[in-house]
Parts: sequence; C-alpha cells; structure tokens
Amino acid sequence: MKCVRCLHDTARLLTKAPDGSGAWEMYACSRCNFTWRNTEEDEVIKPELRDKKFQFTQEPEDLQILVPIAPLKKK
Amino acid sequence: MFRDLREFLAKLEENGQLVRIKDSIYPEPTIREICRAAVDVPNGPAVIMNNIKGMKGMQIAMNVHGSWANIALMMGLDKDTPVKDQFFNFLEAWDRYPGEIKNIDSDKAPCHEVIVKDNINLFEHIPLFRINKWDAACFFSKSCIVSKDPYDKDNFDTQNVGTYRLQIIGKDQICIQALAFHDIARHVTHAEEQNEPLPVAIALGNDPVLTFMASTPINYDQSEYKYAAAINGIPMEITKALNSDLDVPANAEFVIEGEILPRVRVPEGPFGEFPGSYSGMRLQSVIQVKSISYRKNPIFENLFMGRPWTEIDYLMGLNTSAPLYNQLKESMPEVHAVNAMYQHGLTTIISTKNRFGGYAKSVAFRLSSTPHGISYCKNIILVDEDVDPFNLEQVMWSLSCRVRAEKDVLVIQNTPGMPLDPTSYPAGMGNKFIIDATEPTDPDGLLRDTRLIESPDSKDFEKVIADLQKAAQKA
Ligand SMILES: [Zn+2]
Repeated sequence: MKCVRCLHDTARLLTKAPDGSGAWEMYACSRCNFTWRNTEEDEVIKPELRDKKFQFTQEPEDLQILVPIAPLKKK
Repeated sequence: MFRDLREFLAKLEENGQLVRIKDSIYPEPTIREICRAAVDVPNGPAVIMNNIKGMKGMQIAMNVHGSWANIALMMGLDKDTPVKDQFFNFLEAWDRYPGEIKNIDSDKAPCHEVIVKDNINLFEHIPLFRINKWDAACFFSKSCIVSKDPYDKDNFDTQNVGTYRLQIIGKDQICIQALAFHDIARHVTHAEEQNEPLPVAIALGNDPVLTFMASTPINYDQSEYKYAAAINGIPMEITKALNSDLDVPANAEFVIEGEILPRVRVPEGPFGEFPGSYSGMRLQSVIQVKSISYRKNPIFENLFMGRPWTEIDYLMGLNTSAPLYNQLKESMPEVHAVNAMYQHGLTTIISTKNRFGGYAKSVAFRLSSTPHGISYCKNIILVDEDVDPFNLEQVMWSLSCRVRAEKDVLVIQNTPGMPLDPTSYPAGMGNKFIIDATEPTDPDGLLRDTRLIESPDSKDFEKVIADLQKAAQKA
C-alpha cells in the first residue's frame, strides 16, 4: 500500500490492536520508516491533508549521516 | 530512597502529585493533550492512563519528573523546596559518588518476570503512541540504554547508560539516534570498524534517579549506576541481561535487548525535540530486538516534549547544571552557582566572584571548554556571586544595571554547536554569546561610584510571614 509520507508503494500492515478489540490498525513504510494508526487525525494520515513540510520527497540515501561508518579495521 | 518506579509513584500519590485518567481515550491525539495540560498546571502532577483504546490492560505513566515539586520529592525534599536549594542539595548527593552496586540473580530479577523471545512484536506488550503530531512514528523518549565499549568489555565504569531517542520502525526493529559526541557513538564506531553487532539493552520505567542520571553529562569513565546509587542513597540493583554480558536495572518495568546492526543506516525522524522544535530526518543505526522482558502488570513510562517548558526541562535542569558547576569549580573556585536549565544549557547563567578585571569572561571561556559546554553552552551570562542565577528577576537586574554593551558583550563566531539547536548552521556549528553582567573589578574601569542598598537580615522573618500568610488564607 501507499505510504502517506513518501507516497511510495512501500507500506504494509504493521500490527493490530493487541487486545483483539479491532480498535485500530497500524501501518509502516519500509522506505522512509514512517508509521501511522488508522485512528489518527486526518491531517496526519491523509496525504492530501498533510503539511508539505513533513512529507518526504528526497531519496533516503541522500539524507545526512550523523555518526559516520568507520573504515573496517583488518583483524 | 526509591528502588523502582512504583515506589516513586506511590510517594508522588501520597503527596498529591499523581493523578489517574480513567476515561477511555484514543492514543492520538489525546495522550499528548493530557501531557501538555499536566505540565502546564502549577506543580504539575504525574499522570497514569490505563484505559486506552485497543490496549486493554496496559498502563502509561507520563510527566513523572514534570514539576519542581516532583523533582524535590525525588531528592527526598519537601515538595515546596526552592530550586536553588534543590541545586545545592543535589551537589551534596553528587559528592557521595560512587554508590554501591548490588547484583541480583537474573532469574530473581523483577524485570525478568515475563520473558518473550519468539515472534517478537513490541506493540503486543507496550502501549506505544505518537508523542507529537509530526513525529515519524512512536518513540521511546525516556529509556535508559545500556552499552559497552567492545574494546573495554570488562570495565564496569565505561559501560554507558544513556538516554537517546528511539524510533520504533517495526515489530522488532528500533532506530537509535546517536550524535557524534555521544558516548554510545564511540561504542558503535568501535563495533563497526570490526564489523561486529553491538549488544544493547533498553530499560523502560526505571527508578526516577537512574532516569535522571541517564540524561546527565558525566565523564566517559564514570558509572551512571554508581551515580544513581549515590544520589538515591540506596544500592543500585542490577542484573545480567539475557542475551549479553550487559548489566541492566533489575527493577525496570521493561527491558528490551538487541543488537545494533553493524554498518547499517536507515531514515530516522523527524521528532519533536527539547528545543521545542522538530529535528530533521537523518540516517541512523538500527537495533534488531532479540528479547523483551517485563514485570507483571508493567507500567510504560514515556516523556512528552513540547514547546518549553515540559517534563524534559525539569528532568535535565539540575543534572545539566551540577556537572558544569563541578568542572568549573575545580579550576575556578570563585564560581558560586550554575544555572544551565535552559534547553540543556544552550543558555547558561553563572554567578561568580570577579577576582580581577575581566575574570568573569574567563569563566565563560572555561565553560566553553568543558565537555558539555563545548557544543551546548552558547549564550553565557555572568552575574556576581551575590546574585541568585536561578532567580531571573535578579539576573535581569544585573543585565539592566551592570552591562555596558561595548565592553561587556562578546560574540565568538564559528565555534562548535548543538545540531538540534535550530540556529546551528550548518548543523553542528555555532557561536558563543557572552554577557558579562558582573561588577567591574580593578584594573577594569569601574562603574560610576555606586552604593548598593544592603539587604537587611530577613531570613527569620521569611518563616514568620509565610506562616501568618498560611493562617490568613485558611481564615
Ligand atoms: Zn514512506
């Protein structure tokens, strides 16, 4: 299914309400790691209503790395 | 004083500092609305919520450290204790380092009452929720994360217990935000250059002092556990993790164990952070979860961060101030008190004796060279030793009547900065802004001849007046 933040077809069902009540479902995107619950506010879970500043339009690999991966040491 | 979170919650309840919301609520947006309200009321109480839709039988504790009253109770003080007195009380406790460690057998540790190793789904055991509206996912914002330096595995004191934000990205995967100057980043780097996974344990719902120490900047070779024991005044009870050699808090409500995958980075954030704004998205490390264990009827404790002040400001206020004070005091005994309560010390007020002309400015430079001050302390205000830096009315008086901008205000450009500070650009670079609001001393040009009004000796009458006022209010 479509991710509400990056709009790629990379989201799936993550989990359902643990008490079995069916109160909600959660979804997760494997590309941008956004997760959401189907009972949240419309402006959080409907792509057309979300604040554009919080949409993800970059490529994941272009994001900054804060802790660089150190070169491998020979054993 | 408090062996675990439960004992502290009981203490808060005894003192009217804990309330329960029993109404049926949706996790979003109601939890954040309740938390904002709890921290905004005077002497904000802790809040327990136990009727969340889809999460029957689960309970959440919020705002546990969310007022000066709660912090005072954690320190064993009366809930009305003024902040400056809390600061000096904390310094005394701090000097009792190192406290005692007590090892509990793994199979007797309360945190191991229930153990889950197969088909792990964090959401089945923990009532997770989105803290702020534009956060990328559910986060743990108040956990103690334990890790060891792979090159120094047998050293108890370099074992790190720190609070780093954790984004739940799957049933059994968690993204961890480490910044380059964090202790855990050093552990990650050492594991990654060997291409080895790094074992970590995440303890949720701890005794209030351990949580407090996990967000305290201490030296790399000092033990958070021994500090927690010293300040709590009772031995710190730890036990062995189930999957590694790590030591975990034996009385934690939950312990999640896993490994940081070597040489992997995935998108993390945004997350509403302590400056009151959202951090951006970055690539960060991933923890693969191997087990979850918990106490019976566990309490999930988390932290709401909004526009300051919220719980994080109370939690980090004194524990940011105390180590800075101690580090300054070592080489500059003239320093009287340090208030680094504003966004983890981004703004810091120091009261100091001005030993000779320009000395106070040197105190600011010393602050800028402490491990924490290097990147965090950017706005530095210096006041005289008879000004209470926790009393902003007095600080403003100093600014008003002691500062002549052309000689008392300095800006030092392009110094290290704190990446989460929205003014830090590029992220990690910053400036130092120093205001010397102390009275000039020789050979600096003196103020015009000024005679201060002396304060009369009023201490005894403070109690008399307060008691009379209490009686008058009752009548
Ligand atoms: Zn996505």
